[in-house]
Amino acid sequence: MADLALARKAETTEAATGRRRVQNVNAPLWRNAIFVAPYLVFFVLLLLVPLFWGMWMSLHKADAFSTGRFVGLANYTRLFNDRIFLQAIGNTFYFVLLTVPALALIGLLLALALNRQTRTAAVLRTIFFASSVLSVTIVTLIWRIVFVPGFGLLSTVYGWFGATSPAFLSDPKLVMIAIAIATIWWCIGLPMMLFLSALQQIPGDIYEAAALDNAGRWRTFRSITFPSIKRTFVLVVVIQIVLQFQLFGQARLMTNGGPNNVSTPLVLYIYDAAFKRWDLGLGAAASEVLFALILIAAMIQYAVSRRKGEDA
Amino acid sequence: MHVWRTSILAAASALAVMAATPSFAATELSLQRFFGACDADFGSNTDVAKAVGECGIITSMINKFNADNPDVHVSVTTVEWPGYDQLTAQFAAGDPPDIVSIHHSALSDYQSKGLLMPLDEVLASVGVKPGDFTDAARGGVTKDGQIYGLPIDNWTMLYHINMDLFKQADLVNADGTPKLPTSVDEQLAQAKQFREKTGKPYFVQNLANEVALYTRNFYTYLFQQDSDFFADPLKVKLKTPEAKKVLDMYKAIYDQGDTTKDMDYAASINAFLAGEGGVHLNGTWVIGDYTASSETAGTALNKGGYAVYPYPQLFPGKKAQYADGHAWGISQKDRSPEEVAAIGKFLKFFKDNDFEWSRTGHLPAVKAVFEMPEFKALPHRDTVAPIATLGTALPSTVQRQFAIQDIIGQEMNAAMTGQKDVDAALGDMENRINDLLANL
Amino acid sequence: MSATTASPAPTTAGGPTGMVGRSTGDRIILALTIATAVIMMAPLVWVVALSLKDNKELMASMNAVFHAPYTLQNYLNILTTSSVFRWILNSLIVSGGVTLGTLVLCSLAGYGFARLNFPFRNALFVIVLVGLAIPEQAVLIARHQLFSWVKLHNTYPGLILPWLSAPFGVFLMTQYFRAIPKELDEAALLDNASRFKIFWKVLLPLTVPAQATLGIFTFLSVWNDYFWPLISGTKKEMYTLTVGIASTQTNFAQSEGLGFLMSQAVFASAPILILYLFFQKYIVTAVSGAAVR
Repeated sequence: MADLALARKAETTEAATGRRRVQNVNAPLWRNAIFVAPYLVFFVLLLLVPLFWGMWMSLHKADAFSTGRFVGLANYTRLFNDRIFLQAIGNTFYFVLLTVPALALIGLLLALALNRQTRTAAVLRTIFFASSVLSVTIVTLIWRIVFVPGFGLLSTVYGWFGATSPAFLSDPKLVMIAIAIATIWWCIGLPMMLFLSALQQIPGDIYEAAALDNAGRWRTFRSITFPSIKRTFVLVVVIQIVLQFQLFGQARLMTNGGPNNVSTPLVLYIYDAAFKRWDLGLGAAASEVLFALILIAAMIQYAVSRRKGEDA
Repeated sequence: MHVWRTSILAAASALAVMAATPSFAATELSLQRFFGACDADFGSNTDVAKAVGECGIITSMINKFNADNPDVHVSVTTVEWPGYDQLTAQFAAGDPPDIVSIHHSALSDYQSKGLLMPLDEVLASVGVKPGDFTDAARGGVTKDGQIYGLPIDNWTMLYHINMDLFKQADLVNADGTPKLPTSVDEQLAQAKQFREKTGKPYFVQNLANEVALYTRNFYTYLFQQDSDFFADPLKVKLKTPEAKKVLDMYKAIYDQGDTTKDMDYAASINAFLAGEGGVHLNGTWVIGDYTASSETAGTALNKGGYAVYPYPQLFPGKKAQYADGHAWGISQKDRSPEEVAAIGKFLKFFKDNDFEWSRTGHLPAVKAVFEMPEFKALPHRDTVAPIATLGTALPSTVQRQFAIQDIIGQEMNAAMTGQKDVDAALGDMENRINDLLANL
Repeated sequence: MSATTASPAPTTAGGPTGMVGRSTGDRIILALTIATAVIMMAPLVWVVALSLKDNKELMASMNAVFHAPYTLQNYLNILTTSSVFRWILNSLIVSGGVTLGTLVLCSLAGYGFARLNFPFRNALFVIVLVGLAIPEQAVLIARHQLFSWVKLHNTYPGLILPWLSAPFGVFLMTQYFRAIPKELDEAALLDNASRFKIFWKVLLPLTVPAQATLGIFTFLSVWNDYFWPLISGTKKEMYTLTVGIASTQTNFAQSEGLGFLMSQAVFASAPILILYLFFQKYIVTAVSGAAVR
């Protein structure tokens, strides 16, 4: 309903003013902004205003019920003197390192294997994408039931062979890996789909030429397939970096950041500061740091895609 | 246009009817609680005696209250345990429920911000006296000399014992009661003896993805050494020989393999029920389930029986162990006299029916319940009743107890599993808690 | 949609591209992929199996999972939770509302950024892109306070509006509009069609694959969201399915009713899984259509 009304309104405005100066199509006109205005209202009110508010709050000693008093950069000083905060930054990078390459590579391999028109391939594509539609609460519930010692799926399977499964949720060396496994399981669908679509863009006749050339599988991949999907590869990596930087639910629900904070990511730190300690100023300051980190990642994306654009 | 006018008229007349007949409109109270939902079994049950378990009993009690009091209607919202994120958000939005389930240990967070209503007057008006409650319960809800919640119970951790394994380990007295240690050395020696005779660990503990158990153990044995670690509610002192003794003991238990490792809460329950260890450290709330299991033929607890005791006194100080409790808190807002009266009725109902709630396994908050024959007839209440006097909470002015629990649990885990040495862990514990409290 | 130059429509693309014919290598790859799929499925099967078991039986021994009797009792118990259908309805209203709103706003904005010139256009677009980097947690608290002031908590708009500010859709739609050849609207402009008419009649129909992608991912994210509804829709009449299901868990549910817990998990995921299976062919096409640019 709302879109119709909006649409009609926009149409009449356009109809009234639009017809007169068709010639000057590329002049910067304010009335052209009417298309982006509705979104920008939401963007400003619900994203920018809260963001700046958060920045302002990060300069205060604040709790959920009052803005408290101005403390300047004290929250930031506290953050960078907090070993656990620094550890959380390290954990976050470690997690990105564990998941992003794996997601990109496994996604690519699956896409290569399933890029065919058979019924089996279609069914398998469905299976590999299915986990992506689940919510994080469900995903972590599933994986706790897999990893839990004693009666989990993993220890049941290990039990068949008379072995004891490793303590995935409490061994400090393994917890991040456990969270990464659950995350890869959950997120693998999207990279696979992106690669599949890229593969399907490659004209079939190039491959026919390669087949006539008797090129091997690897050579075909290296000289034809990969160059054609390089842009998608970059896209997948960048999307996943931004996503995995924001790890929260899996860590909170599977290990609660433990043991000894080795699985506490930045967002969990923010959550604890704001909601457990009611230290909103500190939480806000940590959010700004996270924002800065993601922004750097996004800028790298921009730079990379620019360069990529010049190549093409 | 037409439809609009009609519906406005209809709404107006409905309002008029409601305004004209106030006596027919029940006073509406909103209540928010954890303990889960169990509509399938108890959604319309008003016979409280038929209900079992926390969820079943609390659902039936509120149903009964609504049935008994047609002039009041309590509408219930259940939240995921413990529900404080939601509650804080509601207070921040200025729209809290009237009545809310709250831990004694969380009361001071909200009370210190003036969000809760002092209940002394309301309780007095319905004839509920502070002296009706046990010391532990009253202490848990009293802040700055006023009562800020109606205590419904105290709960604590207990030694849940597999008697079959205790017999095998030769840890049973002549009268059939389990032999429990009286000092740290005895605890370690008995655990060793248990392991050697049964081949199983003495303790079943949930040490993975967990902070609460560590913290409760830690507080208990600090209390038993008269360590006044929260002498100043804004500054903790944990770099003490007393704290070191507690951590050293648990580390020894861990290192010698006298406890299960890597289990989370659910796994630990399953392990104990499967007979994989002698003593399960768990709360009052599992007494019912374990008793039921011990009465079922073929289970590990059925073989030699199930017993449950407070934590043994391992140190020569005050006889004590850490306890917390549940209470009903009332949000601070403007209310009509009818609403306040309805709240009074509700609180009195829970005080009067505290026995029913104590069937969950929790200790009653009301003194008189301890004397009731029905209560004494409940399984194992004789052995756990001393909790009513042993139970000790943190000083009631200590805030952010849930956050403190996280810190203690994390550091204690790191010390036990050898990721940090004990002194370093205690140092970090102290610094982190003090940083937290310095920034309230 | 498959008739447009903008849509790659992979389902109609020429035969298998990666490997031609069916060699031993192909068979090995297929076998490996199937093995991986089995591993992928195992946790799901485990959960479904657990959900079909009696709680008491599971408490005695987990091996009970591997043999009968199985029961639907856990599911019946969920259905008797009086509010569960209300929660599903709420989730549908909120997810549907957000999806619709996002599609409208992002299509308009995407067209605007891709095709029209107005002052500060590039600067604005960059700012919107920077918005992609704002983590949810950085704005959550301020948003909550804002909504408290305007009394939007415990309302549908309160649950829907925050999502409409997400920049991802604008980014996606802008990229998609940019990929459509300009000749199409230039021809229409010469015909003296209005900007809106061009958008509505000529270009919008070409963006259906991108709309589908954006719509599906928006719907999924909103359906699965937990935190915002937890702190905004705090009355049980306003619970979404994720919050509602979580609220029914008893404190220590995992041990008290593992089967029940698992059935809740399956139940909460079922609508979305069915939706996925129903639309899956379309989703694949849609993701492909939007991805490559």
